[in-house]
Amino acid sequence: MKLDPSFIWTAFVGLLPAIPTTLILTLVSVTCGFVIGTGTALARMYRIPVLAQIASGYVTFIRGTPMLVHLLLIYFSLPLLIDALSAQFDLGWNSAKVPMIAFAFVSFSITAGAYMSEVVRSGLMAIDRGQMEAALSVGMTVPQAIRRIVFPQAVAAALPNLTNSVIGMLHGSTLAFTVSVVDLNAKAQIVASTNWKYFEAYLAAAIIFWGLTIAIERIAAAIERRISLYSRGGVA
Amino acid sequence: MIRLSGIRKSFGRQEVLKGIDLHVGKGEVVAILGPSGSGKTTLLRCINYLEKPGEGEIRIGDQALDARRAGKKDVHALRRRSAMVFQQYNLFSHKTALENVMEGLVVVKKMSKDEARKRGIALLEKVGLGAKLDAYPSRLSGGQQQRVGIARALALEPEVILFDEPTSALDPELVGEVLAVIRRIAKEGITMIIVTHEMGFAQDVANRVVFMDEGVIVEEGPPAQLFGNPKEERTRQFLKRLTPEASYTI
Repeated sequence: MKLDPSFIWTAFVGLLPAIPTTLILTLVSVTCGFVIGTGTALARMYRIPVLAQIASGYVTFIRGTPMLVHLLLIYFSLPLLIDALSAQFDLGWNSAKVPMIAFAFVSFSITAGAYMSEVVRSGLMAIDRGQMEAALSVGMTVPQAIRRIVFPQAVAAALPNLTNSVIGMLHGSTLAFTVSVVDLNAKAQIVASTNWKYFEAYLAAAIIFWGLTIAIERIAAAIERRISLYSRGGVA
Repeated sequence: MIRLSGIRKSFGRQEVLKGIDLHVGKGEVVAILGPSGSGKTTLLRCINYLEKPGEGEIRIGDQALDARRAGKKDVHALRRRSAMVFQQYNLFSHKTALENVMEGLVVVKKMSKDEARKRGIALLEKVGLGAKLDAYPSRLSGGQQQRVGIARALALEPEVILFDEPTSALDPELVGEVLAVIRRIAKEGITMIIVTHEMGFAQDVANRVVFMDEGVIVEEGPPAQLFGNPKEERTRQFLKRLTPEASYTI
């Protein structure tokens, strides 16, 4: 086996067009996952009847099964559902019109939601009850207190874990190639298949993933610096 | 005017408040004393419903609430008539001193930010923190944090301010600055209920002292009477233990 350094560069350039796909997969799954996760965490913490049980079941099932399995389950079940609904209500729709990436969005959001609910929950638990009590004592309603006082602090406390989740989803998004979405990883395979130089192509993909991860870490560090204006936690 | 009638509260099987009746007139400063576990803090927390009483009626001004059929709206309306100063200060840690004072004004009272800022600055100057407007709680000493807490309570112009052991968490040398502020606002005719262990302070700030033990009010009266000539044996025991220096002869 011989390494072809120049092809690493060729592959690198060839991979660039796939970056937006990878980023949009990550962004959508993390954003939707955060919303789902927050709802799930609140339902469990406030023990809302029925919702809390559903939330617990959701978290344990999703965390108990691989992300790839979620994607395949969605990929094979959602079209059936869409076609059934379409036939039922005569929508003139069919699953073939749904872009492949939509299945990845749905499935990754569900996966991210379960993991992020635990991240949000840990953040909420890190905040002293006194913060909530003080908010209520100045006359806020519970939703106001959560939104303005507890939640911003909880997100700040959970930031290192949230960053982990974002990076995890960035890397996890490579699974999208199984449903024919051309993300970075899939693109590497395509680029390589023209001349069988897989190692060079995947090496180029790795470098790009690393670069994206460093960018995420930088952003997180900048947010952390802002938080440290008020927070003096830690042992240093 | 505040009137508590038949307040009962249990934690599990343990009844911590056994039917408390208390009336506090407008402008009155009432100090509640008692040993730990007497239920004094729980009683204070029942007044703004941070603790939900099992039964009883709470009335602040013209807002009355029966614990057995209190809806969310009643609780919220009741809370808006009081403010609380906490033992652990409980300042909003992600907000500056000024933002802490402004928060309730902007969010609850729907005051404009400019107006809230003006009032916030005036109040922080009043408690001697005009130079710390933009400091986060983590950069303030305990005494300073508690003074912000007092300004935050004052800002809401509540019908009563509830003080829950406001100096218990402070270093001894910081107690004085907080008590001085409370003393000053007491003179302005603001209705206050103070749970405290500071006997000397209770004696000269309160119009009335309430002594609680084991979930009941044992005795109440003007400070001179309660400290000078308590009627109940239990009160006498308590005061004696708390002020041992009085019994020393040198």
